[in-house]
Amino acid sequence: MNLYLFLAFTACWLIFMLYAWSLSRRQAHLRRDLEELKSQIHDESSPKNPDK
Amino acid sequence: MKKLFPMTAHLLLTVIWLLVALYMIFLYAPQELTMGEVQRIFYIHASCGWTAGTAYGLVFLGSVIYLWRRSPLADELAEAAGEVGFVFCTCVLVTGPLWAKPVWGIWWTWDARLTLTFVLWLLFVAYLMLRTYVANPARAAVLAAVVGILGFVDVPIDYMAIRWWRTQHPQPVIAGGPASGLEPRMFLTFIISVGAFHCLFAYLVRQRMGLAKGRRELGALRRALATHLSGV
Repeated sequence: MNLYLFLAFTACWLIFMLYAWSLSRRQAHLRRDLEELKSQIHDESSPKNPDK
Repeated sequence: MKKLFPMTAHLLLTVIWLLVALYMIFLYAPQELTMGEVQRIFYIHASCGWTAGTAYGLVFLGSVIYLWRRSPLADELAEAAGEVGFVFCTCVLVTGPLWAKPVWGIWWTWDARLTLTFVLWLLFVAYLMLRTYVANPARAAVLAAVVGILGFVDVPIDYMAIRWWRTQHPQPVIAGGPASGLEPRMFLTFIISVGAFHCLFAYLVRQRMGLAKGRRELGALRRALATHLSGV
């Protein structure tokens, strides 16, 4: 295979994979934040909470 | 939208379509006589270019609707299209020189088409920087929408550049007049590739919009919790 052809296709798919990876990382981070917030809300609304 | 066309089905369609496009690029499309094998870069280079143009079109549309109706969905569409469009435009700027070097003997030249595509890439960068560095989200959305609308001027000029001026970049092979055209199998391969890249673009935009929606909901929940805590 021609070297330039190989490099063009490899670079292109590498860029897409890097973007997909960055997107999935951000989604995982968001899910973690949501879970933290949910547990915080659960703690606040719990009647056993001594602060309330 | 998620009920009509679930994300898993969209991903599956994208993968199959891309595999068909790859098969056609390497095994179905005939070899070009002058450039040889390296001409096959055309199928990804031009497909990414068309998709980047579509992306900026969506940035423009989303920006206009956002400024007109202040719709968060329109803003999320513009933001997602801007980010994914930047990725496609980067692919155009990477694959272009890799095709130019063996064919023209140079990596880059500042002709009208190449310069305007580089300007389009800079517009995507400016758009994303505004989104990132302006602290107030509402203000960032308005400023980004203005850049999204003003920057759209570049897209039709970029498209027409190879028709209006003599450039190092080849003259158009699609919709370029009676002297232009592609061999039928090359044309079919190109259309399938453009479709596959648009399908990938739509999938990534949907994922990115889901992220923006999640962030918006998280922000609202945090504000509600803060209000609740301050009232206790």
